[in-house]
Amino acid sequence: MTLLALPSNREESWRWSDLSALPEIAARQPQGGVPERLPWLDCATGGPRLLFVDGRLVAAESNPGIVGIGAVDIAPSDHALARLVGHEGWTLRLASGHAPLGLVQVIHASTGAADHLPARIELDVDAQASVVETFLGHGWTNRLSEITLYKGARLMLARRILSEAGYVSLADRVTIGEGASFTLTTLAAGGADTRLDGEVRLAGDAAYAEAGGALLARGRQRHDANLVVRHEQPHGVSRQVWRSVADDQATCSVAARVEVARGAQKTDGEQSLKGLLLSRTGTINSKPELEIFADDVKCAHGATVGELNRDALFYFASRGVPAEEAKALLTGAFVADALERIGEEAAREAFLQDAGAWLAGKQADTE
Amino acid sequence: MSDVRNREAQEAAERAATYEWGFTSDIEQEFAPKGLSEDTVRFISAKKNEPEWMLEWRLKAYAKWLEMRAPDWAKLNVPPIDYQDAYYYAAPKKKPELKSLDELDPEIRRTYEKLGIPIEEQKVLAGVEGARKVAVDAVFDSVSVATTFREELKKAGVIFLSISEAIREYPELVKKWLGRVVPIHDNYFATLNSAVFSDGTFVYIPEGVRCPMELSTYFRINAANTGQFERTLIVADKGSYVSYLEGCTAPMRDENQLHAAVVELVALDDAEIKYSTVQNWYPGDAEGKGGIYNFVTKRALCQGRNSKVSWTQVETGSAITWKYPSCVLAGENSVGEFYSVALTNNRQQADTGTKMIHLGRNSRSTIVSKGISAGRSDNTYRGLVRVGPTAENVRNFTQCDSLLLGDQCGAHTVPYIEVRNPSAQIEHEATTSKISEDQLFYAMSRGLSQEDAVALIVNGFAREVLQQLPMEFAVEAQKLLGISLEGSVG
Repeated sequence: MTLLALPSNREESWRWSDLSALPEIAARQPQGGVPERLPWLDCATGGPRLLFVDGRLVAAESNPGIVGIGAVDIAPSDHALARLVGHEGWTLRLASGHAPLGLVQVIHASTGAADHLPARIELDVDAQASVVETFLGHGWTNRLSEITLYKGARLMLARRILSEAGYVSLADRVTIGEGASFTLTTLAAGGADTRLDGEVRLAGDAAYAEAGGALLARGRQRHDANLVVRHEQPHGVSRQVWRSVADDQATCSVAARVEVARGAQKTDGEQSLKGLLLSRTGTINSKPELEIFADDVKCAHGATVGELNRDALFYFASRGVPAEEAKALLTGAFVADALERIGEEAAREAFLQDAGAWLAGKQADTE
Repeated sequence: MSDVRNREAQEAAERAATYEWGFTSDIEQEFAPKGLSEDTVRFISAKKNEPEWMLEWRLKAYAKWLEMRAPDWAKLNVPPIDYQDAYYYAAPKKKPELKSLDELDPEIRRTYEKLGIPIEEQKVLAGVEGARKVAVDAVFDSVSVATTFREELKKAGVIFLSISEAIREYPELVKKWLGRVVPIHDNYFATLNSAVFSDGTFVYIPEGVRCPMELSTYFRINAANTGQFERTLIVADKGSYVSYLEGCTAPMRDENQLHAAVVELVALDDAEIKYSTVQNWYPGDAEGKGGIYNFVTKRALCQGRNSKVSWTQVETGSAITWKYPSCVLAGENSVGEFYSVALTNNRQQADTGTKMIHLGRNSRSTIVSKGISAGRSDNTYRGLVRVGPTAENVRNFTQCDSLLLGDQCGAHTVPYIEVRNPSAQIEHEATTSKISEDQLFYAMSRGLSQEDAVALIVNGFAREVLQQLPMEFAVEAQKLLGISLEGSVG
C-alpha cells in the first residue's frame, strides 16, 4: 500500500479530522471469517441481501437478486479517501415500472484490514427503492457510492455504523432529478471513528433531499460529517437534521452546507444541527454553512450545543424518576429526532434500538 | 412609460457611479522609497525616531512576514497584490510644532471640512446637558497631525496619543502591551502591519477612570499608492470605561489601495471598551475598478474579571473587506459583543465576522450580524464561537441575517462552533431573505420612492445594530446605508 497521501488538518474540509490511524490499519492483514451474528432486519418483504466481508461478497450468506455484483460504472473521485475505491462493487439499477423490490440490505463486515468498495444506485423514472446498509467489524471500511435518481424516483437510504473499532469512511455523490426524492439517515453507534462525506445535487426542478443522522461517540472516538447540499434548480426542498452526542473525550463534528445556485429560486433549505455533551471533556464542532446566490429563497439554520435541559431533569426528579434513567430518556429523545425521519418502519425500529443499546452502554459504564 | 423608467434607472446608476466623497488634495509628501525591504522598515523606524527595541520588533516581524503566505480561505477573489509596487510611508512634510489648529496646512483643513469632520469643539449635541465632547485624533495619510482635547484628557489621566508619540513618551506602557493581543506572527496582514505600521493611536485609561468623552479617529487615505498601515492599541485599566469611534472616508482612486490595520484592545478587571466603526472607503466603481482592499486584524483581550468589550461596525465601503473583530474572553464573567452591518453593492466583496474565544468561567457573548448584498456583490459572514474545556457556564447567542437585493448577488454564512465544555449554552440562528413585495408596496403606497422605501426597509433590517452605535455615528450610518444602496434597485 503506497497510496496513503492523507490530507492535513490545515485543509478546510479536514480541519476536525484525525486520520492518523489509517496507515496502520491499511498495513494490516485481514483475519477473515464471517461474523457470528448478522443483524439482518426482519421484514415481511424479503428483498435482496448482500454480505461483504473485507470487501468480498460472501455468496453463501447473500441473495443479491437484482443487485449486480462486479465492475461498477462510476466516475473516479478526487476525494482523499474515496479515490481509493476500485472497480468491483455492487450496482442497484431499477427500471421504471419495476415491481416493488422489498428492502435491500447490505452488511459490510471488516476483519481488521482496509477494504475499499464502490457502489452505484440508479433509479429510473418513478422507480422506488429502500436500502439499509450495516457496518460491522474493526478494520477500515471505505466506500464510495454514486446515486442517480431520475424524474420522480424515490430512494430511502439508511446506514448504521455498528463497527466496534477501526474506521468507517463513506462518501456519496448524489444527483436528484425533477421531482425525485432522496433521504439519507446515518446512525453512528459503534466504536469506530467515522468520516462521512456527501455531495447532494438537486439537479431537477422541485427535487427533495434529506440528509442527516445521529452521531454517538464515547471514549476517544471521533465522528466527522461533511455534507454539501446544492440546489441547482428552482423549487427544491432540503432538510438536514443532525444530532451529535459526545461522551468522555470524544469529538463529534458536523459541517453541513446548503448551496443555492443563481436561478434556483423558491428554494427551501433548512438545517438543524444540535450537539449534546455528556462529559466535561467531550467536544462538539458544528459548521452550519449557507451559500446563497438567489434572492427568492427561504434558508434557515439553527445550531445549538449544550448539556441536557436542567428544567426537564428537574421535572423527572420531581416525578421520582432516577437521574440516570431521566438522562437516558432525554438523550434518547434527543437522538430520536434524527432517526424518526426514517420512512421504513423495520429500519426505523432497528435504528432506534441500536441507539438505545448505545445509550444503555453508557448507563452500564456509570453503574 | 418604460422609456421614462429606463431614463430614471440610468440616472440613478450614474449617480451611484460617482462617489460623493471622491476628491483628492495636493499636499507635499515625503515618501519612503517605493517597495518593501528591510531598508523600508529601517527608514520608517528612523523617520519616526523610534527606540532600538521598536526597530528590532519591526525587523522581526518583517523577517517572519517573508516566510508567510497570504491567507486564501476567505470567500474573496483577491487579485494578486504587488507589495513592491506601493509606498509604505507618506507623511505631510514636517512643520514646526503646531500651537493650534489654525496653524494646520489650510489644504488639510479644507479636506477635513469637506469630509465633515467635527474637529472643532462645536461637536456638542444640542440640548444635552453637560454636553458630551468628542476628541479627534485625525490621521492624515499616515501621520497624526493634530490632537484636540488632549489637555482635558490629560487632566483625567487618559493618555490619547498617536502611537509613535506614545512609543517615545510612554515606552514602558507600549512595550508591555504592543503585540500582546495580536502577536507579530499572528497572520499575514498583521505581520506586515507590525513591520511597517506608520502610525495609529494609543489610548490608556487609568484605573477607575471613566473617559470623559468619546474618543475618535478619522482615517483618510489620500496619497495615490500609499498603503495605510495603522496600529491602534487601547488599554483600559481596572474599572475604567472608554468609547472609541473610528470612521473613515477615502478619496476616489483608480489603483487599488491596500489597507492592513491592526487594532488591539485590552480590558482589565471591570473595564469596558466600546469600539464603534463606520467604514466608508472607496468601494470601486460600478464595474469593480479601483477601491480599497481592507485587510484588518482587530482583536480584544478581555483579560480581567467582569471586563467587557463591544464591537459595533457598519461596513459599507471598500472593494474587498477581510475583517474579523474578535474577543478573547479570558476573564471570569467577561462579556464580548459583536454587532455588525455589512452592506455590499456593485462588485464589492466582504468576508467579515467575529471570533468569540471563551476561556473564562461564566463568560458571555452576543453576535448579531446583518449582511445586505446588492448588485453583483458577495457578502459573507464568517464566525467562530469556541468554548474551552475549563470555561464553565458559557453563554453565546448568535444571529446572522442576510438580505438579498436582486438576483445577481450572493449571501453566505459560515459559522464555526467548537464546544469543549458541556455546561455551555450555544445558540445559533441564521436566516436569508429578500425584501418582501408587500413591505415595498406598502411603503410606496405611502408616497415613498422605491429607493427610499428600500433604504427604509434596510435600515429597519439593520436597526438592532445601528442602535448600538453612539448617537454621532448612528445618524451618519443610516445615511450611509441609503447612499450605498443608490442605484441598486429599480
